[in-house]
Amino acid sequence: MKHDLVVKHSLALAALVMMVVATSQAGTISGKVSGVSGESAVYVEVAAGKTFPASTQQPVIDQKGLMFQPHITVVQQGTTVEFLNSDSVAHNVFWPSVGGNKKLTHNLGTWPKGDKRPFKFDNPGAVPLLCNVHPEMSGYVIVSPTPYFALTDKSGEYKIENVPDGSYTVTAWHEGAKSQSKPVAVAGDTKADFTLSK
Amino acid sequence: MDTLRRMSLLFVFVLTVILLAGSSYAIPAFSRQYGTSCTTCHIDFPKLNDFGKAFKDAGFKFPKDDETFIKVPPVMLGAPAQKDLWPHTVFPGTIPGLPQIGLRFNQFFQYTSGNANNYNIAGQSTGPYIPRTDFQPGYFSIFTAGNFGSDIAFWVDDDISVSGANANGELGDAYLRFVNVSRFFKLPTDSLTLKVGQFELDLPFTQARAYDISPYDIYTQANIGAVNPAYPQQFVNNSFTLAGPGRGIELSGGHHYGGYRYAIAVVDQDTSGTAPSTYPNVPSGASDGGVGYFSDSNFKDLYGRFAYRFNLERDPTSRHEVQAAGATGPRDHTYLTLGSYYFYGRSVQRAAGLLPDGTTPTVLLAREPFYRVGGDFDFNYRTFNIFGLYMYGHDHDIVPFIPSGLTLPTGFITGSPATFSGGFIQADYMVYPWMMMIMRWDRVQSRADFLNEAGSTNFFSPAGSTRNRFTPGAQFLIHANIKASFEYAYRPQQALTYNLNGQPMNVFRTNTATGALEFVY
Repeated sequence: MKHDLVVKHSLALAALVMMVVATSQAGTISGKVSGVSGESAVYVEVAAGKTFPASTQQPVIDQKGLMFQPHITVVQQGTTVEFLNSDSVAHNVFWPSVGGNKKLTHNLGTWPKGDKRPFKFDNPGAVPLLCNVHPEMSGYVIVSPTPYFALTDKSGEYKIENVPDGSYTVTAWHEGAKSQSKPVAVAGDTKADFTLSK
Repeated sequence: MDTLRRMSLLFVFVLTVILLAGSSYAIPAFSRQYGTSCTTCHIDFPKLNDFGKAFKDAGFKFPKDDETFIKVPPVMLGAPAQKDLWPHTVFPGTIPGLPQIGLRFNQFFQYTSGNANNYNIAGQSTGPYIPRTDFQPGYFSIFTAGNFGSDIAFWVDDDISVSGANANGELGDAYLRFVNVSRFFKLPTDSLTLKVGQFELDLPFTQARAYDISPYDIYTQANIGAVNPAYPQQFVNNSFTLAGPGRGIELSGGHHYGGYRYAIAVVDQDTSGTAPSTYPNVPSGASDGGVGYFSDSNFKDLYGRFAYRFNLERDPTSRHEVQAAGATGPRDHTYLTLGSYYFYGRSVQRAAGLLPDGTTPTVLLAREPFYRVGGDFDFNYRTFNIFGLYMYGHDHDIVPFIPSGLTLPTGFITGSPATFSGGFIQADYMVYPWMMMIMRWDRVQSRADFLNEAGSTNFFSPAGSTRNRFTPGAQFLIHANIKASFEYAYRPQQALTYNLNGQPMNVFRTNTATGALEFVY
């Protein structure tokens, strides 16, 4: 009986220690992206010597009503995105570059209504999505090199959670604006505001 | 001599930018309604791609699930449930949420060979002076088109001003189109559509919405009989051209983007001569061409067309879709279209005459049957498109008969028919999505035209050829709604004088280079 009590206390203590350790190592980056209107992407750039588990998410980007929906999708590097065509007209998805690198241009072709076509994004950066039959259609996949990213709300507020304490470079991206990167030392709740310009 | 002068001027006017201007349209209102670019429907506006053809076939709607694409919701003219109450209520329809109005303006710059003024000969008929270089405003046009729901489409276009003059414009097409009427008769989908109003006939290649600067010569060919007194004269003055609008009804079916396509139209005969007069023309001698009249309401002209388009993709699924599934995105099909058309009408003319008693004045009425018949082809491979058309025109000739001793005719006798033939072949190549290169060859061969011009002493062209030109061109989309076009018309040699052996002297060409800027919004 006494032995059981000791075991229980030990487990509770271990859990408490782990929680304290975890809390002390995982911070939050929050702030506001201003100077632009609408949604922006904020993500943590890769830190030397740190590796991250592969993403298990598989987001879907739909082509519906002659629009990419959602307009901006942020994913971790290595994520497979599925492109769906929900329109009764033929569409296409291609991108002229990834992160400004035109050598990474790619064309997914065309597929019928209701079908999906997957693509794994192995290179970080902004990927402008286009449709070569509906030139007004525009969307973006923002490929973050880390699992620490967020999409701001329309007022520009964002919050990236569970970021291990440490020093990082954080980048804010907005459609049509110059991206901005700044060093951020994460220790608990950390603030990082950005002011972007076109 | 009026006809002579008319024909002479016709050739001169061909040089002017006013007539060089096409009457093309794209519909920016659809861009607003659907929130999409002009290039969704147009290759190089107003040239339609396969999706644009399907959009038009469907009555200016997306072929499927149209309502899911409309960004500006239509205004309901009655709740849909009202349908169940019909005939005890007005059948519900819709109107577009935005006024479906588009505007278009173009302007031209033309460089004309100085030879154009060789036609102006002192002491003889003098045509207008044609400057070497000339800026010209073109068309300012308004147009509206859309769908009222229940598959009823509408179209109206009107040139508010032409060449800077605000009174020269005219109504183009104006019609209602009842799409897919076939459903009421349990016929295959889209096999029967009814159009009512004023409209361009279902020509193999549209002239009203053509994208070239200059019109297809064969489409603007009237049939004026020979009036040169040195040759047997004809009493034919038929100004009907295939490019002119028809007023009436049209039944059609099928699709422009694949498979069969037919059209049958019944339209007012419209063979008006120069200026219809309240006074009938008085023939001098055997004939002098007479005066045509706008309409003979007792007879309607008939037009029919049938074409079949073979989409050539191996994949049957892709072959039957509106657009082919290319490796890098949807694209226009690789296709071959073969078609034929036939127009039958009656050219009506009046002449002052006498009853058979030889003394009582009367008005003699000649109804001269005529037809236009031809075939066409259209081949497309990716960004290369070549198409052509052949036409043969035939007008029955009824010549006023003047008995000896009288000065006015008492009836008619059959003369030799006035005929012509010709056509065009055009090749388009999209170098880039914004750059199209064009090469075109036009030919019109009319013995009557040749004789009339030879007789007018101010025109000569090689025997057997009355109009024959090569027209290379290029068009550039500055934006999807702004276009710069260039065209060079290389015309056949002409001469004004002959040597003693009858050979032409000092031959020259009246070539023209024309540039155009056009925008729609």
